[in-house]
Amino acid sequence: MAKKKRLKDLNFLEKIYLPEISKGLVQTFKKMFQPRFTMEYPEVKFEPPDSYRGRPVLVQEENGEERCVACGLCSRVCPALAIEIQAGETEREKERYPERFEINMIRCIFCGLCEEVCPEEAIIMSKDYELVFSNREDALYGKDKLLVPINELQDRINFLRKHK
Amino acid sequence: MPKFQIDGKEFEFKNGQTVLEVALENGIDIPHFCYHPLLSISGNCRMCLVEIEKMPKLMISCSTLAAEGMVVHTQSERAINARKAVMEFFLINHPLDCPICDEAGECKLQDYTYQHSIGESRFTETKNLKEKRVPLGPYVMFDGDRCIACSRCIRFCDEIAKSSQLTFVKRGDRVTIETFPGMQLDNSYSLNVTDICPVGALTNRDFRFKARVWDMSATKSVCIGCSRGCNIEVWVRSNEIMRLTPRFNPDVNQYWMCDEGRLKTWKHVNSDTRINGPQLRKNGTLAEVGWDEAYAFAISELKNFNKDEIGIILSSSASMEDNYMGIKFGKSVLGAKYFGYKSKVLKGSGDDILITDDKAPNTFGLELLLKSFSVRIENSFEQVMSLINEGKIKALLVIEDDILSGSEELNKTLDRLDLLIVTASNMNKTAEKAHIIFAASTYAEKNGTFVNVSGRIQRTKPAVVTSERERSLDGFEMSRLDKFGTEWDKWGKVNKIEARASWKILNGLGVVMGQKLKYNMAEEVFVDLSKTIDKLSGLDYRAIGETGVQLKLTNTN
Amino acid sequence: MDLWTIIIISIIKILFVVTITLLTVSYLVYFERKISAWVQDRIGPNRVGWYGLLQPFADVFKLFLKEDIVPDASIKSIHTLAPIITLFVAFSTYAVLPWGPPVNIFGYEIPLVLADVNSGILIVLALTSLGVYGITFSGWASGSKYSLLGGVRSSAQMISYEISMGFSVAGVLLISESLRPAAIIESQSGWMWNAFIQPIGFITFLVSAFAETNRLPFDLPEAEPELVGGYHTEYSSMKFAAFFLAEYANMIISSGLIVTLYLGGWQVPYIETFGLSSGWVTMMQIGAFFFKVGAVLFFFIWVRWSIPRFKYNQLMNLGWKVMFPLALVNLVWVAILVMLLN
Repeated sequence: MAKKKRLKDLNFLEKIYLPEISKGLVQTFKKMFQPRFTMEYPEVKFEPPDSYRGRPVLVQEENGEERCVACGLCSRVCPALAIEIQAGETEREKERYPERFEINMIRCIFCGLCEEVCPEEAIIMSKDYELVFSNREDALYGKDKLLVPINELQDRINFLRKHK
Repeated sequence: MPKFQIDGKEFEFKNGQTVLEVALENGIDIPHFCYHPLLSISGNCRMCLVEIEKMPKLMISCSTLAAEGMVVHTQSERAINARKAVMEFFLINHPLDCPICDEAGECKLQDYTYQHSIGESRFTETKNLKEKRVPLGPYVMFDGDRCIACSRCIRFCDEIAKSSQLTFVKRGDRVTIETFPGMQLDNSYSLNVTDICPVGALTNRDFRFKARVWDMSATKSVCIGCSRGCNIEVWVRSNEIMRLTPRFNPDVNQYWMCDEGRLKTWKHVNSDTRINGPQLRKNGTLAEVGWDEAYAFAISELKNFNKDEIGIILSSSASMEDNYMGIKFGKSVLGAKYFGYKSKVLKGSGDDILITDDKAPNTFGLELLLKSFSVRIENSFEQVMSLINEGKIKALLVIEDDILSGSEELNKTLDRLDLLIVTASNMNKTAEKAHIIFAASTYAEKNGTFVNVSGRIQRTKPAVVTSERERSLDGFEMSRLDKFGTEWDKWGKVNKIEARASWKILNGLGVVMGQKLKYNMAEEVFVDLSKTIDKLSGLDYRAIGETGVQLKLTNTN
Repeated sequence: MDLWTIIIISIIKILFVVTITLLTVSYLVYFERKISAWVQDRIGPNRVGWYGLLQPFADVFKLFLKEDIVPDASIKSIHTLAPIITLFVAFSTYAVLPWGPPVNIFGYEIPLVLADVNSGILIVLALTSLGVYGITFSGWASGSKYSLLGGVRSSAQMISYEISMGFSVAGVLLISESLRPAAIIESQSGWMWNAFIQPIGFITFLVSAFAETNRLPFDLPEAEPELVGGYHTEYSSMKFAAFFLAEYANMIISSGLIVTLYLGGWQVPYIETFGLSSGWVTMMQIGAFFFKVGAVLFFFIWVRWSIPRFKYNQLMNLGWKVMFPLALVNLVWVAILVMLLN
């Protein structure tokens, strides 16, 4: 078997390891006094950038009505089949509204396709990342949990308009 | 036969055929809105423009008669550009409200916009606004914005439903559709306009916003509203029927079905009155029990009666399989002599389009069966009832029929019975009096065959799952949700009714009583029954297929 | 001194040593986690108690509550015996380590060592060699291939490095001319620490100590990526805790040994010239011992989070082809030194 040639042969000091080891030790020793990156989570909250895709929410207009017209495109495009919508008829100008709008947060993969496909800018990926539930039923987020006033989502909406 | 060319290929045609008809026959798709094979040619949508050599202008293929030696181009640059231009005109005033529109997903305009348009709008002015949400009649909602004025609905009312109720009003881009003053779109076939409307201008008020087209599965079946047996598709989401639509069958119903059949023949399948599991009368009240207990109880009760004390009521609404098992069980297991069925003919309720007087889908088939077993047909029901009154029949088995509805006077008759066993899908007046109720599947939950008024045998297929069946394993039609749902999803955790087909119930009873014949599938029952009736010999479910088989009526037996 | 006084004093000393050891062991784990966190720009345990100081107790509490799983395929008696041997050996070594000079209390002269044995160093070497039994037994008795491989590796590694360790110690003994740890310490008065007199011996001993304690970069017996957990894969609950404690106890022993043999033990160079009272001197000397041990322990941990693991062939190469000859060279060097200076 042909012996593989090294790119560069080690010199004597490198061969006896000790200087290299002490270099490594010095490096780690320096590290001990450098600032920490850890974020102490429950006390210190992470403030995500506008591009962050957190929990999908429904936009609630200033008059308290939802923007969603229950077209079902988010439900259709959702690769994880997380969204279930039952449409209904209203007297408002847009005849259609979601009687029931449920996102199964166990299924949701936060891909943001629902947000991308939405023709009404009605479903938005919020900055909310605190999703805890202890049973499958709690993970079904209905309209009560999904509707978020529009002024809380303005950052993301501006971001989408700029980059979409 | 004369020949002509479309896109470089030679096609034969019959004199009088239009270019579009020949093209569609041969699988060449020329886009069209206003053309419909069963309606007169109106030629107003201009979508089917094609280039024909030696003609100065582009021609609409729907009204151009094919001629010997004609050379047609559907994909030439002029034809394509013309199509794009026509689409652009349509889209000038058509609103971009597909998210709200129910037609989305099965909309011709939507499809053609993808296939034949430039993909963007050059129109910057405001769109024409017309009336929205106009109820044209009890079942149809009209949206003026979306209408592209193809006049299909107007021609349908004039030519097929034979009741001119719709018309165009105004001109140019203000044109819209209205009912004639003092009139409503309320003919018996009004909902067909929602099927033929190429856009979402006319929608079904009953189905409006209920479900998206792509979320449902469509199962090919047969309407049970009357003895016509219109071919239909049953649209199901989350194991609930959402709507019925007619299915093309040139020998039965063409493209149409009546409103009655479309709206009133399936609501009971989803209804709260469904009987969920067998019930026994204990101390005067009905209580739900398991199948085995119900079978055992029924057998032990039936053993108390002599053979000629037992009567059996069959149903002209039940499938061939159910009635066959009813007769077979009655004859060979119980030894019963008296069979009867209640006629559902409503004189004068039919018309000469599709609706018939007989409101039962299988009278023809039931009579074939009774004949083959040499059982009395005329006044058989009245005979059984009078025997009950005389006290000769003490036990009655009713298969899938509510004999009390419309005949209140029979209440006292049924009171005389010592034992009343009923198979029923929903709680009804007869079932309320029963001692034993077996929960029966509806036509939408089982395989079955029905013979229509003209002697055509057709199949129903199960579209809704009952407790003993599994959508994915039993070959049901599957929507996207059905394919990927799990029991943890709301749409996967569907409500399944605890019910069995009537033939299966009778088969189960027979097995408990020691009957040798055991059927596992409806098709086995059918194969067996086809051997007893000459006219059905050689048929099986595959041979009947999706559109049915016309039985030979000449050699009567 | 009558017999009872000796017994009482011994019991007090035993209690002192055992308490100190157990506390040190548990807090060593805490510091290991803290230092690793600092090296990696993290914070480390800070939830249990003030700055996470109660973390060791939480850990022990957790291990107490865990189910004690004994695999079906194991030899149950040996499986149970192995952690006992390991822990017993680790703790008994403390008996011969002096942690300060003899002190005078109430007229009694008390040596600050549990057993001031003539052959102290030999006992240490013998006991640490026994430790390999615990590990080999556990690997053998677990009935698992990973454990077995870990056990075999461990015995081979320990035997290999025992040699160079022994020869390094021989150099120290040449100078002190005694096997008594106290005598060895006394022979390193002033700055005459063996670490300076025989640096090669110091390095070989240090490296061998790493190998003997199964610490990174020589933790092949428990190499997680290859062997899951090595010899203690099949252990849980307090049996696992026993191995865990033993590893850290061994670390302290090794540090104590290094301090005793090479870093002057409890000696503070030229302390007699500071002009302090004898009580202060003793206190400072005891303090010096613990400080030196602490520094070596920090070095142990520091190295662990700096240097990656050796391959097994590299480990063996290093042991036999480098460390063993170097230890011999050191021996010759010390012999020449002793000959010349005498």
